[in-house]
Amino acid sequence: MTTAGSTPTLGDERSREHATLLAAMAGGDKTALARLYDLLAKPLYSLAFRVLNDAGESQDVVQDVFLQMWHKAGTYDTSRGSVFAWAATLTRNRAIDRVRMRKRRAELLAESAPDLQPASVGNDTDSAGSLWLREKAGAVRTALAALAPDQQKAIELAFFSGLTQQEIAARLNEPLGTIKARIRRGLLKLREILPARL
Amino acid sequence: MITERHEELAALRALGLLEDAERSVFESESARHPEVRALADSLAETSAALALAVPQVEPPAGLKDRILAGAGAAGGGQVIAFPLLKVAPWAVAAALALAATWLATQNLSLRNENATLQSERQLAEVAYKMAQNQLSERSLLAENMITDLGNRLRRAEDLSRLKISALASLAGNTKEAQVIAVWDPGQQAGLLTMEKLPAIADTQDYQIWIVDPAYKDPVNGGVFHVAADGKVSLAFKPDQPVAQAAAFAISLEKKGGVPKAEGPIVLLGK
Repeated sequence: MTTAGSTPTLGDERSREHATLLAAMAGGDKTALARLYDLLAKPLYSLAFRVLNDAGESQDVVQDVFLQMWHKAGTYDTSRGSVFAWAATLTRNRAIDRVRMRKRRAELLAESAPDLQPASVGNDTDSAGSLWLREKAGAVRTALAALAPDQQKAIELAFFSGLTQQEIAARLNEPLGTIKARIRRGLLKLREILPARL
Repeated sequence: MITERHEELAALRALGLLEDAERSVFESESARHPEVRALADSLAETSAALALAVPQVEPPAGLKDRILAGAGAAGGGQVIAFPLLKVAPWAVAAALALAATWLATQNLSLRNENATLQSERQLAEVAYKMAQNQLSERSLLAENMITDLGNRLRRAEDLSRLKISALASLAGNTKEAQVIAVWDPGQQAGLLTMEKLPAIADTQDYQIWIVDPAYKDPVNGGVFHVAADGKVSLAFKPDQPVAQAAAFAISLEKKGGVPKAEGPIVLLGK
């Protein structure tokens, strides 16, 4: 149980920028919203698409998330976590809710085979935002690769599929206690490797 | 101190996997140990980073404009960032309205229930009075029946107690006479019914005698005179207490009778 330490990096600067933009949004600054969209839309859309495997629904989710952030910007508590973590959590939860509503979980899981291998970032220009994104994405993938495969698998299913503890255990054909232990150890290890704030 | 159990709960919470029971445990434990909640927040940050691990996909070109348009229509962030104090009065008013509605509903419900109970009570009272009346009627009827039955029994007892004798003629002029004597020992009185008893001279009387073994001589039962048609029905009482009426006799005596039979016995019955 260690605390992830970090020195000022590009990520720290970006995290502060996110917080500043959110504060401006709380004051009704739409240009701040536009800027935050430029910085976060791609990873959030990618996350939604990863969970939903549907472009239309992924757009709806991202739109809902940004509008929620716009409306709730004034209530955001910076001490509880980064803006990106908040936005990613909102996106994941909304996407998983849709998955559950569609009752197509099994089909979706079959259609969207887990793929956390290094992937192309796309046709980004070398803006500060895309550099941050590349840096962080690389760090996360490296950290994931450092996990034991069974830990990685359990965490992937927990984060992207919306399965319950029992469903994950059943899917991996392991006792529930084993799954909980894998999630605990894997997440703690990721925490050690990754910087405290994205 | 953070235990493995705390770590497990924090990790499950970060991934949205807590079940109801575990959520309760987490809340209580994080209230006692603030470091548990801090750990959960930190792990939530870590898990959120997983979003960056997926293959990156460019969002559609029009999405940004849709979002900005949606934000404009909503009127900006300040609209939502209302101070609580501005909303509180409306919330209180809404709560009061809801409470008033609820109370009114409850009041109406209780009134209806009360009216129903009153109706039921009135019906029960009517039924009770009807039952009481029926019971009184039946009670009176039963009382009358019992009284009547008692009278019948008493009459039966009285009859059984009575001594009835037919007196036979002992004289030539009383052969057609029909005399019945009924004696009630309880009342110490008797009744004589006679027909075709021969008329006698005004200087004479018939005299009744009750033969009781307790006495040496028959007990005097009184005198009577017969009318021309020979019919007599009269009550008599002995001048001494009679313990056992063994027989009845009628003698012909001088006017006014005698203390001890002197004349002829014209009728006798046991």
